[in-house]
Amino acid sequence: MSINETEELILNMGPQHPSMHGLFRMVIHLEGETVTKIVPKIGYLHRGMEKLAESRTYAQFIPYTDRLDYLASPHNNWAYVQTVEKLMGVVVPERAEYLRVIFGELARIASHQVCIASTALDMAGWSAWSYAFRDRERICDMYEMTAGSRLTVNIMRIGGISAEPPAEFWPALQSFLDDTPEMLEEYYGIFFGNEIAQGRLKNVGILSKELAENLSITGPVLRASGVNYDVRKAEPYSIYDRFDFNVPVRNGCDSYDRTIIRMDEIVESIKIIKQALRDIPEGPIMAKVPKVIKPPVGEVYHRVENPKGELGFYIVSDGTTKPARVRIRPATFINLQMLPIVALGWKIQDVVAIFATLDAVLGEVDK
Amino acid sequence: MDVTLEKRLRDDEALMDKNFVVTNLDSLLNWARGHSFWPVTLGLACCAIEMMATGGPRYDISRFGWEVFRASPRQADVMIVAGTCTRKMAPLLRRIYDQMPEPKWVIAMGSCANAGGPFVDSYSMMAGVDKVVPVDVYIPGCPPRPESLLYGLLQLQYKVSNPAKVRLMKHGK
Amino acid sequence: MENNEKFKLQVTELATRVNGEVEESFGVLVLKVNAPYIIETLTAAKQFADGPCDFLHDLCGMDLVDHFEVVYQLTSLRGSQSLRVKAIVNRENPVVDSVTRIWQGANYLEREAFDMFGIIFKGHPNLKRIYMWDDFEGYPLRKDYVTEPIELRNITRTRIEGE
Repeated sequence: MSINETEELILNMGPQHPSMHGLFRMVIHLEGETVTKIVPKIGYLHRGMEKLAESRTYAQFIPYTDRLDYLASPHNNWAYVQTVEKLMGVVVPERAEYLRVIFGELARIASHQVCIASTALDMAGWSAWSYAFRDRERICDMYEMTAGSRLTVNIMRIGGISAEPPAEFWPALQSFLDDTPEMLEEYYGIFFGNEIAQGRLKNVGILSKELAENLSITGPVLRASGVNYDVRKAEPYSIYDRFDFNVPVRNGCDSYDRTIIRMDEIVESIKIIKQALRDIPEGPIMAKVPKVIKPPVGEVYHRVENPKGELGFYIVSDGTTKPARVRIRPATFINLQMLPIVALGWKIQDVVAIFATLDAVLGEVDK
Repeated sequence: MDVTLEKRLRDDEALMDKNFVVTNLDSLLNWARGHSFWPVTLGLACCAIEMMATGGPRYDISRFGWEVFRASPRQADVMIVAGTCTRKMAPLLRRIYDQMPEPKWVIAMGSCANAGGPFVDSYSMMAGVDKVVPVDVYIPGCPPRPESLLYGLLQLQYKVSNPAKVRLMKHGK
Repeated sequence: MENNEKFKLQVTELATRVNGEVEESFGVLVLKVNAPYIIETLTAAKQFADGPCDFLHDLCGMDLVDHFEVVYQLTSLRGSQSLRVKAIVNRENPVVDSVTRIWQGANYLEREAFDMFGIIFKGHPNLKRIYMWDDFEGYPLRKDYVTEPIELRNITRTRIEGE
């Protein structure tokens, strides 16, 4: 062995590791500091949701969906109840649809804030983290006013939405919307404009368009690789066809674009909320749904654009009060497949950055 | 902490002035321990986000002196089990606990860590983290609010600062 | 919808080629084939002349008591076409060809289906349990799987070396 050759080192990261966003573990094979192989290990948070769904009634399963992607719980509720509604043929009242859009987009903003915060934190940027969490608290407050919970909101019901927002909700939402441009400027200034952040994210972890499509990657990660695809535009669910918004696409394919595309998405979400606030009609918030939910025999697959990718529910009904099979298509579980391919050849600290830009939530990965 | 307890605590402190040095040193150590926990970051699931929010600007855990979240269990003395502990994770959780130096305490945060929570009848779950490690404080909620976590930590602080007293309370005296 | 008709025609034509059945459920075409034909079916669906279904959206197993099914949800990033392909798998000998050669993204999904149902994907690069630990017994999502009582589950298992 010559003096320049080094022995392969196997480094075990996780499951208890601050930059693993929960219980993710990867076994990294290193040549010096360069990564030669990554073996991701998951399943430390596998709670068996799909099996539990088979022993719960349709309505009882809604709170469980909160615990999938807990950063954007209204979205999971939404995907699930829409699937059941599709199966039963329930038409949701107008006002409920608008409220769902408002809460869904608020959840998108909150989720992206956490993504930006944790990406910054993984690169030891404490102050960026605390700024994003400061602003996220305001969204949590709005959840709390309406649903009574800060994180696992459980706001959607089959046929509508659980509660009418109280009077103080609307001024809170308005002031939040008014403050957002300043907020985003702060994030730019403190994190994205930072030379260290740019140096560590730009041109790191290139995910090509072809590879992304072949790996079934969805969501902001796909759009940062130059593919213009968003379920809200391609297959508009709920009332998304009524709003005027853009789908942010970036062509950098690197970690930086995967992070900053979330800033663009926050801007679009704000646009959508403003339009929803303008158009929201008065009226009931729950459709007439039978007390015992018993969908007809059949199967339906429905997907929505979660902040992290496409979340799909595939429900098979056998005509009883309990579903025969509930399949959850977790977005980040599939997006995670890019990590062992893309991170090859990068240094060990880049692996942490690449993983952070995926915005993986292990509740969703492991189900 | 109810009023009578607080009164008893104050009486105790008055007595302590007249005590021997050893007792005073002990209580001084306990006092120091209780006021500067170094928790290990063990965010398992949803509760971890609330734990992060507790460390965030609004709830600001550093008001109490507990903000030194340690990534390594070897530097920590409190384990906040924030979230669902599955059967796959259980032996690893025990390993992290074993790596912590004495004295050490465990807080079970959230109903999953308390008793399995909504997932208790699943094939991959066990009924609470107390089957793996000894738990000092249980915080209910799904997930508990940041205030609950702070209250739980205050309870632990009380327990750590007054070990004898807590032992008496446990036996109903 | 002229496009839809064309797409449907293609699917029925493919179905006759691979001895499959076509159904329609909530506006989505469902193509049921036997397990040996799955590679042929999916390759053809990926290369449809009108509306290729070239994006593997989801792959999951399903237990229908007398047989298993592997369900492939196909969509495209360049159109609204979608197709659901079901491969019927024998329960006694659950083997089906892996589609990782067509879509790399099927890797984890197939491992998950193996973990939960015990369906063996022939030609998969690394077919191991993904969610459960390695020496876990049984396949939890099968209908005949009986969850262990809580007293047994409460016993902490011993750590496998390297975990």
